[in-house]
Amino acid sequence: MARITAGVGSSHIPLLGVAVDQGKTTDDYFTPIFSGYEWTKEWIKGEKPDVIILVYNDHASAFDANIIPTFAIGTGERYKPADEGWGPREVPDVIGEPDLGWHIAQSLILDEFDMTIINEMDVDHGLTVPLSMMFGQPEAWPVKVIPLAVNVVTYPVPTGNRCWLLGEAIRRAVESYPEDLNVQIWGTGGMSHQLQGPRAGLINADWDNTFMDGLVGTSDKNRTIPHIEYLRETGSEGIEMVMWLIMRGALGAETRLLHRHYHVPCSNTAVGHIVLEPVT
Amino acid sequence: MSDKGASDTPEDLGEPKGEATGAIGPVGNQGDIAEYLEELEDIPGTRVYTAARARKGYWLNQFAMSLMKEENRTRWRADEKAYLDEWQLSDAVKQALLDRDYNRLLDLGGNIYFLAKVFSTDGLSFLQAVSTMTGMSVVEYKAMMDAGGRSPEGVRSIKGGY
Repeated sequence: MARITAGVGSSHIPLLGVAVDQGKTTDDYFTPIFSGYEWTKEWIKGEKPDVIILVYNDHASAFDANIIPTFAIGTGERYKPADEGWGPREVPDVIGEPDLGWHIAQSLILDEFDMTIINEMDVDHGLTVPLSMMFGQPEAWPVKVIPLAVNVVTYPVPTGNRCWLLGEAIRRAVESYPEDLNVQIWGTGGMSHQLQGPRAGLINADWDNTFMDGLVGTSDKNRTIPHIEYLRETGSEGIEMVMWLIMRGALGAETRLLHRHYHVPCSNTAVGHIVLEPVT
Repeated sequence: MSDKGASDTPEDLGEPKGEATGAIGPVGNQGDIAEYLEELEDIPGTRVYTAARARKGYWLNQFAMSLMKEENRTRWRADEKAYLDEWQLSDAVKQALLDRDYNRLLDLGGNIYFLAKVFSTDGLSFLQAVSTMTGMSVVEYKAMMDAGGRSPEGVRSIKGGY
């Protein structure tokens, strides 16, 4: 059967993709950021996951203001990098896993999570930057990817608790798939940042680190954090961290910490990164 | 009202009608949706992208989205006013776009990820564009970020003043 063997949390800041694409990862500015991913890049070579369920948000790329799915799962064969206004990133196409994607979609709907299903879309920095952080610049991505897009832009966004519960349902769906697949789930976005208004530039390292503490072990206190707390404490875009709770929920009752990294700043944003495995 | 966008939505979008009184979920500190929405307006220097703003700014954001295509970026660069006239936008929205007044565009219902299509077409990074909303120069803003960013102290709540 398929199993979720690990969870990864990571920021998906566009500037990180620029740094990779332009060969700047060892510059003075970027070294303290990328050095915190070296452990993971080595680890994942040994883990050799078959599939990543990659939880991210679309930043007005595949979805415009017209249709706003709260939770959308990709069931396509492949996805191209989106042109976000600067031209598309020159990274490999993302290869999907439609068999498992459809299995998860069907399982989630029967488990009372009414998913939107996406067959064709371009994927933006929210999805491709974490792949670059974990795999560098390969000719082709070494894993298949099931995109799971969450609306964290138009309010109300889903509650942290709902995200956690979706993660639990994803785990049930994966474990009911007969093929023997090594599946990881990644929760991306965050950490504290605000990209708009006079309050832009807000960073809250204490809050971010408490949030990361709460992902480890048996704690589930993060699931009850209300939206207003993310907004007040971590900036208007810090709400992306609810996507990390889908990852955490999919790891079961207890997690073990494998790796953790935090750095301020990258562009307007605090960089957070964590690697967890389920304790079963 | 100077802002008459393409949509025919009413002007009083900011006020929920108070009919929804049930709890909105198993978590959170909100008693009902009116309280939830009110709290979102209680953050200094912040326009949370609520449904009311999404309705108000619908065509502004769809205009910005059109700049995802290179052919549209070329036409926009060639004659911004002519390109804007193809869209059902208020004069206030058009002027704010021509001025690149991003705080004003947020007030008019713009969302930063949509507005990013405008500033990326100008060749600006997120940091450069975001700094223009803070009253700081790009250099001052970047220095603040490099020193650890803006503290949440005193800018969490308008009413609470903390």
